[in-house]
Amino acid sequence: MPRRAEISVRPIDPDPVYNSVLVTQVINKVMSRGKKSVAEKIVYDALEQIGTKTGKPPVEVLEQAVKTVTPVLEVRSRRVGGANYQVPVEVPQRRARTLAVRWLVTYARDRREKHMGEKLAGELLDALNQQGGAFKRKDDVYRMAQANKAFAHYRW
Amino acid sequence: MAERAQYLGTGKRKTSVARVILRPGDGATWFNGRTMEEYFPRAAHRVLALAPLKVAGAEGTYDIRVRVHGGGPSGQAGAVRHGIARALVEADPNLRVPLKRAGFLTRDARIVERKKAGLHKARRAPQFSKR
Repeated sequence: MPRRAEISVRPIDPDPVYNSVLVTQVINKVMSRGKKSVAEKIVYDALEQIGTKTGKPPVEVLEQAVKTVTPVLEVRSRRVGGANYQVPVEVPQRRARTLAVRWLVTYARDRREKHMGEKLAGELLDALNQQGGAFKRKDDVYRMAQANKAFAHYRW
Repeated sequence: MAERAQYLGTGKRKTSVARVILRPGDGATWFNGRTMEEYFPRAAHRVLALAPLKVAGAEGTYDIRVRVHGGGPSGQAGAVRHGIARALVEADPNLRVPLKRAGFLTRDARIVERKKAGLHKARRAPQFSKR
């Protein structure tokens, strides 16, 4: 019997400009030290840049970018008989989405453009073309999973 | 003075208090002497404050006058939402059920917890030192 009640998922509100939950998620990930208005400015600035560069609706581009960096498989370590194995497992949908957004934002921070808005826009556009840090990360995770395919039967 | 239909509502959130007057009109806003766009530059706050009108399907059919004081922008926006919801119920009691269901008529009772003696903040304790 679990002692604690199951933790339920907190619903997040769609953002006011594009009415998209995904945009809110990105804003929250960009936010540091509780500065939400700054984070909003950065994300809306980035989305606007994407809109002018691609000529498509920014939210669609964002969704596309997130989709390309969403991992399908990852490895988790599991102890079997004293040895640790990297066991490939499928990524639950919610976790996959969270990881994708997290990677996009953290690898955007490492880029060389001057402003966070430009960095985020650049990273998102790179992701569309299967480039950039976030896509590389997803690829790495996927390759780790492929390399450890032999241990797939340890799935739990 | 000519009698004009107007509906009052007082809303609170955190330490903010908003007194709202709704009059049938075209959606003009007056927030402490400024328009809503000037008073809440962040779109998030405007959407939050006007949410009850959206639920009621009454956007742009009322002029909104608000006096709001205390707290910060987010708390004030929440207070305005509460006030508008109450004023709407006064205007049309049928709206009570949908607004209540959306949670707009409930005073959000969460406020800043008081600081305790011997602690840094409400709960933050000084770092433990064994000796």
